[in-house]
Amino acid sequence: MDNENGITLAPYLIIIFLAVILLVLEGSFFALVFLRGIKPDLLLIVIVCLSFLWGEKKGMILGIITGLLQDIFFGPAIGFFALAKMLSAYFSGLISREIYKDQIVGPMLTVFFATIMHESILYMLVSFYWGAEMGFFVAVESIFLFRAFYHFALTLFLYPIIYKADRANFFNPSYR
Amino acid sequence: MLRLTRFSPKLLGFLAIVILLLALINFTGEHRSRYTFIENLVLTAISPVQGFISELGSSASDFLQGVTGYREILEENRELREVLAARDTYRQELLELQKENFRLREMLGFQERTEYELLPAEVIARDPTHWFETITINRGYYHGIEEKMAVVTAEGLVGNVFQVSRNTSKVLLLTDSRRAVSILVQRSRDPGTAGIVEGYPEEEGYLRVINLPPEANIQSGDTIISSGMGGVFPKGLIVGEVMEVGKDQYGLLQQALVRPAVNFNRLEEVFIVLDIRQEEENMEGNFSMEGQREGRESLL
Repeated sequence: MDNENGITLAPYLIIIFLAVILLVLEGSFFALVFLRGIKPDLLLIVIVCLSFLWGEKKGMILGIITGLLQDIFFGPAIGFFALAKMLSAYFSGLISREIYKDQIVGPMLTVFFATIMHESILYMLVSFYWGAEMGFFVAVESIFLFRAFYHFALTLFLYPIIYKADRANFFNPSYR
Repeated sequence: MLRLTRFSPKLLGFLAIVILLLALINFTGEHRSRYTFIENLVLTAISPVQGFISELGSSASDFLQGVTGYREILEENRELREVLAARDTYRQELLELQKENFRLREMLGFQERTEYELLPAEVIARDPTHWFETITINRGYYHGIEEKMAVVTAEGLVGNVFQVSRNTSKVLLLTDSRRAVSILVQRSRDPGTAGIVEGYPEEEGYLRVINLPPEANIQSGDTIISSGMGGVFPKGLIVGEVMEVGKDQYGLLQQALVRPAVNFNRLEEVFIVLDIRQEEENMEGNFSMEGQREGRESLL
Protein backbone atom coordinates (compact mmCIF):
# COMPACT_ATOMS: atom_id res chain seq x y z
CA MET A 1 0.00 0.00 0.00
CA ASP A 2 3.06 2.28 0.07
CA ASN A 3 3.24 4.82 -2.67
CA GLU A 4 6.34 6.53 -3.96
CA ASN A 5 6.18 9.35 -1.37
CA GLY A 6 6.19 6.95 1.53
CA ILE A 7 2.54 7.69 2.38
CA THR A 8 0.53 4.56 3.13
CA LEU A 9 -3.20 4.37 2.56
CA ALA A 10 -4.03 2.16 5.54
CA PRO A 11 -3.92 4.96 8.18
CA TYR A 12 -6.26 7.11 6.08
CA LEU A 13 -8.75 4.28 5.60
CA ILE A 14 -8.76 3.65 9.34
CA ILE A 15 -9.18 7.40 9.99
CA ILE A 16 -12.10 7.57 7.51
CA PHE A 17 -13.77 4.70 9.37
CA LEU A 18 -13.12 6.39 12.75
CA ALA A 19 -14.34 9.74 11.39
CA VAL A 20 -17.63 8.23 10.21
CA ILE A 21 -18.16 6.67 13.65
CA LEU A 22 -17.34 9.97 15.40
CA LEU A 23 -19.61 11.99 13.09
CA VAL A 24 -22.52 9.59 13.58
CA LEU A 25 -21.98 9.72 17.35
CA GLU A 26 -21.69 13.52 17.35
CA GLY A 27 -24.81 14.03 15.25
CA SER A 28 -27.05 11.31 16.60
CA PHE A 29 -25.93 10.48 20.11
CA PHE A 30 -24.08 13.40 21.71
CA ALA A 31 -26.51 15.89 20.15
CA LEU A 32 -29.30 14.20 22.12
CA VAL A 33 -27.42 13.42 25.33
CA PHE A 34 -25.89 16.91 25.61
CA LEU A 35 -29.10 18.77 24.82
CA ARG A 36 -27.87 22.17 25.87
CA GLY A 37 -24.50 23.82 25.78
CA ILE A 38 -21.62 23.46 23.39
CA LYS A 39 -20.93 19.97 22.11
CA PRO A 40 -17.32 18.86 21.70
CA ASP A 41 -15.86 18.39 18.21
CA LEU A 42 -14.16 15.06 18.91
CA LEU A 43 -13.12 14.73 15.29
CA LEU A 44 -11.14 17.97 15.50
CA ILE A 45 -9.35 16.80 18.66
CA VAL A 46 -8.42 13.47 17.03
CA ILE A 47 -7.21 15.14 13.83
CA VAL A 48 -5.15 17.74 15.67
CA CYS A 49 -3.57 15.07 17.91
CA LEU A 50 -2.71 12.87 14.91
CA SER A 51 -1.29 15.83 12.98
CA PHE A 52 0.76 16.65 16.05
CA LEU A 53 2.20 13.12 15.91
CA TRP A 54 2.48 12.69 12.13
CA GLY A 55 3.49 16.17 10.93
CA GLU A 56 1.90 18.85 8.78
CA LYS A 57 1.83 17.00 5.43
CA LYS A 58 -0.13 13.98 6.63
CA GLY A 59 -2.13 16.24 8.93
CA MET A 60 -3.24 18.33 5.99
CA ILE A 61 -4.47 15.23 4.12
CA LEU A 62 -6.26 14.03 7.28
CA GLY A 63 -7.90 17.44 7.66
CA ILE A 64 -9.17 17.48 4.08
CA ILE A 65 -10.52 13.90 4.14
CA THR A 66 -12.31 14.15 7.48
CA GLY A 67 -13.48 17.72 6.77
CA LEU A 68 -15.05 16.59 3.50
CA LEU A 69 -16.84 13.81 5.38
CA GLN A 70 -18.14 16.35 7.90
CA ASP A 71 -19.28 18.53 5.00
CA ILE A 72 -21.30 15.63 3.58
CA PHE A 73 -22.86 14.95 6.98
CA PHE A 74 -23.56 18.46 8.25
CA GLY A 75 -22.02 21.11 6.04
CA PRO A 76 -24.03 23.66 4.10
CA ALA A 77 -21.50 23.35 1.27
CA ILE A 78 -18.66 21.01 0.32
CA GLY A 79 -15.25 22.29 1.40
CA PHE A 80 -16.47 24.30 4.37
CA PHE A 81 -15.24 22.09 7.22
CA ALA A 82 -12.54 20.62 4.93
CA LEU A 83 -10.79 23.99 4.67
CA ALA A 84 -11.06 24.72 8.40
CA LYS A 85 -9.84 21.26 9.42
CA MET A 86 -7.06 21.22 6.82
CA LEU A 87 -5.60 24.53 8.02
CA SER A 88 -5.96 23.60 11.71
CA ALA A 89 -4.27 20.24 11.14
CA TYR A 90 -1.50 21.87 9.09
CA PHE A 91 -0.90 24.38 11.87
CA SER A 92 -0.75 21.56 14.47
CA GLY A 93 1.73 19.59 12.39
CA LEU A 94 3.94 22.65 11.94
CA ILE A 95 4.19 23.62 15.59
CA SER A 96 4.65 19.99 16.71
CA ARG A 97 8.21 20.13 15.36
CA GLU A 98 9.23 22.24 18.34
CA ILE A 99 7.34 20.33 21.03
CA TYR A 100 7.95 17.03 22.81
CA LYS A 101 5.38 14.49 21.74
CA ASP A 102 5.50 12.35 24.86
CA GLN A 103 4.42 15.15 27.21
CA ILE A 104 0.73 15.95 27.50
CA VAL A 105 0.97 19.77 27.83
CA GLY A 106 2.19 20.26 24.24
CA PRO A 107 -0.76 18.57 22.50
CA MET A 108 -3.22 20.12 24.96
CA LEU A 109 -2.02 23.64 24.09
CA THR A 110 -1.93 22.73 20.40
CA VAL A 111 -5.56 21.57 20.56
CA PHE A 112 -6.47 24.79 22.42
CA PHE A 113 -5.00 27.06 19.74
CA ALA A 114 -6.07 24.81 16.84
CA THR A 115 -9.67 25.00 18.13
CA ILE A 116 -9.59 28.80 18.17
CA MET A 117 -8.10 28.74 14.67
CA HIS A 118 -10.71 26.22 13.42
CA GLU A 119 -13.61 28.27 14.83
CA SER A 120 -12.16 31.54 13.52
CA ILE A 121 -11.87 30.11 9.99
CA LEU A 122 -15.47 28.86 10.18
CA TYR A 123 -16.54 32.29 11.47
CA MET A 124 -14.90 33.99 8.51
CA LEU A 125 -16.46 31.59 6.01
CA VAL A 126 -19.93 31.89 7.59
CA SER A 127 -19.59 35.70 7.70
CA PHE A 128 -18.49 35.81 4.08
CA TYR A 129 -21.22 33.55 2.71
CA TRP A 130 -24.16 34.27 5.03
CA GLY A 131 -23.26 37.32 7.06
CA ALA A 132 -22.02 37.53 10.65
CA GLU A 133 -24.45 36.68 13.45
CA MET A 134 -22.34 38.38 16.09
CA GLY A 135 -19.10 40.32 16.32
CA PHE A 136 -15.86 38.36 16.07
CA PHE A 137 -14.62 39.22 19.55
CA VAL A 138 -18.03 38.48 21.08
CA ALA A 139 -17.91 35.07 19.38
CA VAL A 140 -14.36 34.46 20.65
CA GLU A 141 -15.34 35.41 24.18
CA SER A 142 -18.68 33.59 24.37
CA ILE A 143 -18.06 30.49 22.22
CA PHE A 144 -14.54 29.92 20.89
CA LEU A 145 -12.67 30.24 24.18
CA PHE A 146 -15.16 28.04 26.00
CA ARG A 147 -14.90 25.40 23.30
CA ALA A 148 -11.10 25.65 23.25
CA PHE A 149 -10.93 25.07 27.03
CA TYR A 150 -13.40 22.19 26.66
CA HIS A 151 -11.21 20.56 23.99
CA PHE A 152 -8.08 21.38 26.04
CA ALA A 153 -9.52 19.35 28.95
CA LEU A 154 -10.73 16.48 26.74
CA THR A 155 -7.26 16.17 25.19
CA LEU A 156 -5.97 15.19 28.61
CA PHE A 157 -7.94 11.94 28.22
CA LEU A 158 -7.86 11.46 24.45
CA TYR A 159 -4.20 12.19 23.65
CA PRO A 160 -2.76 9.32 25.75
CA ILE A 161 -5.12 6.90 23.96
CA ILE A 162 -4.20 8.25 20.51
CA TYR A 163 -0.49 8.33 21.42
CA LYS A 164 -0.51 4.70 22.63
CA ALA A 165 -2.56 3.57 19.62
CA ASP A 166 -0.07 5.26 17.29
CA ARG A 167 2.92 3.72 19.07
CA ALA A 168 1.24 0.30 18.81
CA ASN A 169 0.81 0.91 15.04
CA PHE A 170 -2.97 0.80 15.33
CA PHE A 171 -3.21 3.23 12.42
CA ASN A 172 -0.65 1.36 10.37
CA PRO A 173 -1.36 -2.39 10.63
CA SER A 174 1.35 -3.34 8.11
CA TYR A 175 4.05 -2.22 10.62
CA ARG A 176 2.73 -4.27 13.52
CA MET B 1 12.49 36.08 -7.52
CA LEU B 2 14.89 33.23 -6.83
CA ARG B 3 13.53 32.80 -3.32
CA LEU B 4 9.98 32.68 -4.66
CA THR B 5 10.98 30.01 -7.17
CA ARG B 6 12.65 27.95 -4.45
CA PHE B 7 9.55 27.92 -2.26
CA SER B 8 6.97 27.99 -4.97
CA PRO B 9 6.10 24.27 -5.49
CA LYS B 10 5.04 23.71 -1.87
CA LEU B 11 3.50 27.12 -1.44
CA LEU B 12 1.70 26.95 -4.77
CA GLY B 13 0.38 23.47 -3.98
CA PHE B 14 -0.91 24.68 -0.62
CA LEU B 15 -2.54 27.76 -2.11
CA ALA B 16 -4.02 25.67 -4.93
CA ILE B 17 -5.73 23.40 -2.39
CA VAL B 18 -7.07 26.39 -0.43
CA ILE B 19 -8.39 28.02 -3.61
CA LEU B 20 -9.86 24.72 -4.79
CA LEU B 21 -11.73 24.28 -1.51
CA LEU B 22 -12.99 27.89 -1.60
CA ALA B 23 -14.19 27.35 -5.17
CA LEU B 24 -15.89 24.12 -4.07
CA ILE B 25 -17.68 25.97 -1.24
CA ASN B 26 -18.79 28.63 -3.70
CA PHE B 27 -19.94 26.09 -6.25
CA THR B 28 -21.81 23.80 -3.85
CA GLY B 29 -23.06 26.48 -1.44
CA GLU B 30 -25.58 28.17 -3.69
CA HIS B 31 -28.71 26.90 -5.37
CA ARG B 32 -27.94 23.32 -4.49
CA SER B 33 -31.02 21.45 -3.37
CA ARG B 34 -29.85 17.97 -4.48
CA TYR B 35 -26.80 16.08 -3.30
CA THR B 36 -24.04 14.79 -5.57
CA PHE B 37 -23.76 11.07 -6.31
CA ILE B 38 -21.00 10.53 -3.71
CA GLU B 39 -22.89 12.44 -1.01
CA ASN B 40 -26.02 10.45 -1.83
CA LEU B 41 -24.10 7.21 -1.56
CA VAL B 42 -22.53 8.07 1.81
CA LEU B 43 -25.75 9.45 3.31
CA THR B 44 -27.91 6.57 2.06
CA ALA B 45 -25.44 4.03 3.45
CA ILE B 46 -25.14 5.77 6.79
CA SER B 47 -28.77 6.81 7.43
CA PRO B 48 -29.87 3.46 8.99
CA VAL B 49 -26.89 3.63 11.38
CA GLN B 50 -27.73 7.25 12.21
CA GLY B 51 -31.33 6.24 12.90
CA PHE B 52 -30.22 3.45 15.22
CA ILE B 53 -27.68 5.59 17.09
CA SER B 54 -30.21 8.41 17.32
CA GLU B 55 -32.64 6.06 19.06
CA LEU B 56 -29.88 5.03 21.46
CA GLY B 57 -29.09 8.70 22.12
CA SER B 58 -32.74 9.42 22.71
CA SER B 59 -33.00 6.57 25.22
CA ALA B 60 -29.81 7.71 26.98
CA SER B 61 -31.11 11.27 27.08
CA ASP B 62 -34.47 10.14 28.50
CA PHE B 63 -32.66 8.02 31.09
CA LEU B 64 -30.38 10.92 32.14
CA GLN B 65 -33.32 13.28 32.35
CA GLY B 66 -35.25 10.72 34.35
CA VAL B 67 -32.40 10.33 36.82
CA THR B 68 -31.81 14.06 37.23
CA GLY B 69 -35.41 15.19 37.21
CA TYR B 70 -37.52 12.50 38.88
CA ARG B 71 -39.37 15.02 41.08
CA GLU B 72 -40.06 17.30 38.15
CA ILE B 73 -41.36 14.34 36.17
CA LEU B 74 -43.81 13.43 38.92
CA GLU B 75 -45.04 17.02 39.07
CA GLU B 76 -45.18 17.25 35.28
CA ASN B 77 -47.09 13.97 35.16
CA ARG B 78 -49.73 15.29 37.56
CA GLU B 79 -50.06 18.53 35.61
CA LEU B 80 -50.27 16.68 32.29
CA ARG B 81 -53.06 14.49 33.58
CA GLU B 82 -55.03 17.59 34.48
CA VAL B 83 -54.27 19.19 31.11
CA LEU B 84 -55.25 16.00 29.32
CA ALA B 85 -58.59 15.87 31.10
CA ALA B 86 -59.29 19.47 30.12
CA ARG B 87 -58.02 18.82 26.59
CA ASP B 88 -60.62 16.11 25.98
CA THR B 89 -63.37 18.63 26.60
CA TYR B 90 -61.66 21.21 24.42
CA ARG B 91 -61.17 18.65 21.69
CA GLN B 92 -64.88 17.97 21.45
CA GLU B 93 -65.61 21.68 21.39
CA LEU B 94 -62.94 22.24 18.76
CA LEU B 95 -64.33 19.53 16.51
CA GLU B 96 -67.76 21.13 16.72
CA LEU B 97 -66.32 24.57 16.02
CA GLN B 98 -64.28 23.16 13.19
CA LYS B 99 -67.35 21.71 11.50
CA GLU B 100 -69.18 24.97 11.97
CA ASN B 101 -66.17 26.86 10.68
CA PHE B 102 -66.03 24.76 7.53
CA ARG B 103 -69.73 25.22 6.91
CA LEU B 104 -69.37 28.99 7.29
CA ARG B 105 -66.31 29.06 5.07
CA GLU B 106 -68.15 27.16 2.40
CA MET B 107 -71.07 29.51 2.68
CA LEU B 108 -68.90 32.59 2.45
CA GLY B 109 -66.70 31.09 -0.23
CA PHE B 110 -63.49 31.77 1.66
CA GLN B 111 -60.35 30.71 -0.12
CA GLU B 112 -58.18 30.54 2.96
CA ARG B 113 -55.93 27.58 3.54
CA THR B 114 -57.10 24.89 5.91
CA GLU B 115 -55.57 21.57 4.91
CA TYR B 116 -52.11 20.18 4.37
CA GLU B 117 -50.94 16.88 3.00
CA LEU B 118 -48.51 15.71 5.67
CA LEU B 119 -45.77 13.09 5.60
CA PRO B 120 -44.36 11.90 8.94
CA ALA B 121 -40.58 11.63 9.31
CA GLU B 122 -38.12 10.76 12.04
CA VAL B 123 -35.20 12.93 13.06
CA ILE B 124 -32.06 10.86 12.61
CA ALA B 125 -29.32 13.45 13.20
CA ARG B 126 -28.70 16.95 14.46
CA ASP B 127 -25.89 19.30 13.52
CA PRO B 128 -23.52 19.01 16.50
CA THR B 129 -21.70 22.25 15.75
CA HIS B 130 -23.00 25.60 16.90
CA TRP B 131 -22.68 27.08 13.42
CA PHE B 132 -25.91 25.82 11.90
CA GLU B 133 -29.28 24.86 13.32
CA THR B 134 -30.17 21.89 11.15
CA ILE B 135 -31.59 18.40 11.56
CA THR B 136 -31.54 15.38 9.25
CA ILE B 137 -34.78 13.45 8.66
CA ASN B 138 -35.28 9.98 7.20
CA ARG B 139 -37.29 11.05 4.14
CA GLY B 140 -35.85 12.12 0.79
CA TYR B 141 -36.82 12.68 -2.82
CA TYR B 142 -37.76 9.02 -3.05
CA HIS B 143 -40.67 9.89 -0.72
CA GLY B 144 -41.63 13.01 -2.64
CA ILE B 145 -39.69 15.53 -0.56
CA GLU B 146 -38.57 18.68 -2.31
CA GLU B 147 -36.54 21.71 -1.35
CA LYS B 148 -38.38 24.47 0.58
CA MET B 149 -41.14 22.18 1.86
CA ALA B 150 -42.29 23.31 5.31
CA VAL B 151 -41.65 21.05 8.31
CA VAL B 152 -44.02 21.12 11.28
CA THR B 153 -44.95 19.28 14.47
CA ALA B 154 -48.19 19.24 16.38
CA GLU B 155 -46.80 22.17 18.43
CA GLY B 156 -46.02 24.41 15.47
CA LEU B 157 -43.56 25.37 12.78
CA VAL B 158 -40.13 23.70 12.76
CA GLY B 159 -38.44 24.98 9.59
CA ASN B 160 -38.08 23.94 5.98
CA VAL B 161 -36.25 21.40 3.86
CA PHE B 162 -33.13 22.82 2.21
CA GLN B 163 -31.20 19.81 0.88
CA VAL B 164 -32.63 16.51 -0.31
CA SER B 165 -30.92 13.15 -0.89
CA ARG B 166 -32.63 9.91 -1.91
CA ASN B 167 -33.63 8.82 1.60
CA THR B 168 -32.72 11.75 3.81
CA SER B 169 -33.21 15.51 3.88
CA LYS B 170 -31.67 18.37 5.83
CA VAL B 171 -34.05 20.76 7.52
CA LEU B 172 -33.11 24.34 8.36
CA LEU B 173 -34.66 25.12 11.75
CA LEU B 174 -36.40 28.36 12.64
CA THR B 175 -33.61 29.07 15.13
CA ASP B 176 -30.98 29.21 12.35
CA SER B 177 -30.20 32.85 11.76
CA ARG B 178 -29.89 32.24 8.02
CA ARG B 179 -33.66 31.98 7.81
CA ALA B 180 -36.45 34.48 8.28
CA VAL B 181 -40.20 33.88 8.32
CA SER B 182 -42.94 36.42 7.77
CA ILE B 183 -45.33 36.42 10.73
CA LEU B 184 -48.55 37.86 12.14
CA VAL B 185 -49.86 38.30 15.66
CA GLN B 186 -52.66 35.75 16.11
CA ARG B 187 -54.71 38.02 18.43
CA SER B 188 -55.09 40.83 15.92
CA ARG B 189 -54.12 39.23 12.58
CA ASP B 190 -53.47 42.82 11.65
CA PRO B 191 -51.37 43.05 8.47
CA GLY B 192 -49.88 46.22 9.96
CA THR B 193 -48.32 44.06 12.68
CA ALA B 194 -46.59 41.81 10.16
CA GLY B 195 -42.93 41.30 10.97
CA ILE B 196 -40.11 38.93 10.33
CA VAL B 197 -39.05 36.29 12.81
CA GLU B 198 -35.47 35.03 12.78
CA GLY B 199 -32.98 33.11 14.91
CA TYR B 200 -31.50 35.00 17.85
CA PRO B 201 -27.87 33.97 18.40
CA GLU B 202 -27.54 36.02 21.60
CA GLU B 203 -30.36 34.05 23.27
CA GLU B 204 -29.84 30.41 22.38
CA GLY B 205 -33.08 28.62 21.55
CA TYR B 206 -35.09 31.85 21.23
CA LEU B 207 -36.32 33.79 18.21
CA ARG B 208 -36.81 37.48 17.64
CA VAL B 209 -39.32 39.42 15.60
CA ILE B 210 -37.79 42.38 13.80
CA ASN B 211 -39.02 45.17 11.52
CA LEU B 212 -42.20 45.77 13.54
CA PRO B 213 -43.61 49.26 13.00
CA PRO B 214 -43.74 51.46 16.16
CA GLU B 215 -47.56 51.36 16.17
CA ALA B 216 -47.69 47.55 15.84
CA ASN B 217 -50.22 45.98 18.16
CA ILE B 218 -48.04 43.38 19.88
CA GLN B 219 -47.54 42.58 23.55
CA SER B 220 -46.00 40.02 25.82
CA GLY B 221 -48.01 36.75 25.81
CA ASP B 222 -49.18 37.15 22.20
CA THR B 223 -49.02 34.10 19.96
CA ILE B 224 -47.08 34.53 16.72
CA ILE B 225 -48.23 32.69 13.59
CA SER B 226 -46.85 32.34 10.08
CA SER B 227 -48.37 34.84 7.66
CA GLY B 228 -48.10 32.59 4.59
CA MET B 229 -46.29 35.31 2.63
CA GLY B 230 -43.46 33.99 0.49
CA GLY B 231 -45.25 30.76 -0.35
CA VAL B 232 -42.90 28.50 1.65
CA PHE B 233 -44.80 28.25 4.91
CA PRO B 234 -48.54 27.74 5.14
CA LYS B 235 -50.45 30.51 6.84
CA GLY B 236 -51.50 30.15 10.46
CA LEU B 237 -48.86 27.79 11.84
CA ILE B 238 -47.88 28.65 15.39
CA VAL B 239 -44.33 29.99 15.63
CA GLY B 240 -44.13 30.89 19.32
CA GLU B 241 -45.10 33.17 22.17
CA VAL B 242 -43.93 36.75 22.68
CA MET B 243 -41.83 37.09 25.86
CA GLU B 244 -40.71 40.71 25.63
CA VAL B 245 -41.34 43.68 23.37
CA GLY B 246 -38.88 46.56 23.01
CA LYS B 247 -37.30 49.05 20.63
CA ASP B 248 -34.67 47.93 18.14
CA GLN B 249 -31.09 49.18 18.36
CA TYR B 250 -31.91 52.40 16.49
CA GLY B 251 -35.02 53.12 18.56
CA LEU B 252 -37.19 53.46 15.43
CA LEU B 253 -38.88 50.09 15.11
CA GLN B 254 -40.10 47.52 17.60
CA GLN B 255 -38.66 44.06 18.12
CA ALA B 256 -39.85 41.15 20.22
CA LEU B 257 -38.24 38.17 21.92
CA VAL B 258 -40.17 34.99 21.09
CA ARG B 259 -40.09 31.59 22.74
CA PRO B 260 -40.62 29.00 19.97
CA ALA B 261 -43.68 26.77 20.27
CA VAL B 262 -41.53 23.81 19.27
CA ASN B 263 -38.86 22.44 21.59
CA PHE B 264 -36.05 22.12 19.07
CA ASN B 265 -33.91 20.13 21.50
CA ARG B 266 -36.49 17.38 21.75
CA LEU B 267 -37.48 16.93 18.12
CA GLU B 268 -37.91 13.26 17.32
CA GLU B 269 -40.77 13.14 14.85
CA VAL B 270 -41.87 15.82 12.44
CA PHE B 271 -44.28 16.24 9.54
CA ILE B 272 -43.37 17.54 6.12
CA VAL B 273 -46.05 19.66 4.43
CA LEU B 274 -46.10 18.11 0.98
CA ASP B 275 -48.27 20.68 -0.74
CA ILE B 276 -49.60 23.88 0.76
CA ARG B 277 -51.86 24.38 -2.23
CA GLN B 278 -53.53 21.05 -1.47
CA GLU B 279 -55.74 22.82 1.04
CA GLU B 280 -57.53 24.78 -1.62
CA GLU B 281 -58.52 21.61 -3.41
CA ASN B 282 -59.52 20.07 -0.10
CA MET B 283 -61.61 23.09 0.76
CA GLU B 284 -63.62 22.52 -2.34
CA GLY B 285 -63.76 18.75 -1.80
CA ASN B 286 -64.97 16.54 0.97
CA PHE B 287 -63.54 17.83 4.26
CA SER B 288 -64.80 14.95 6.34
CA MET B 289 -62.24 12.49 4.97
CA GLU B 290 -60.49 10.65 7.79
CA GLY B 291 -56.97 11.32 6.53
CA GLN B 292 -57.60 15.02 6.29
CA ARG B 293 -59.05 15.12 9.75
CA GLU B 294 -55.98 13.38 11.15
CA GLY B 295 -53.75 15.87 9.40
CA ARG B 296 -55.78 18.79 10.69
CA GLU B 297 -55.84 17.49 14.23
CA SER B 298 -52.12 16.94 14.25
CA LEU B 299 -51.66 20.61 13.57
CA LEU B 300 -53.95 21.79 16.33
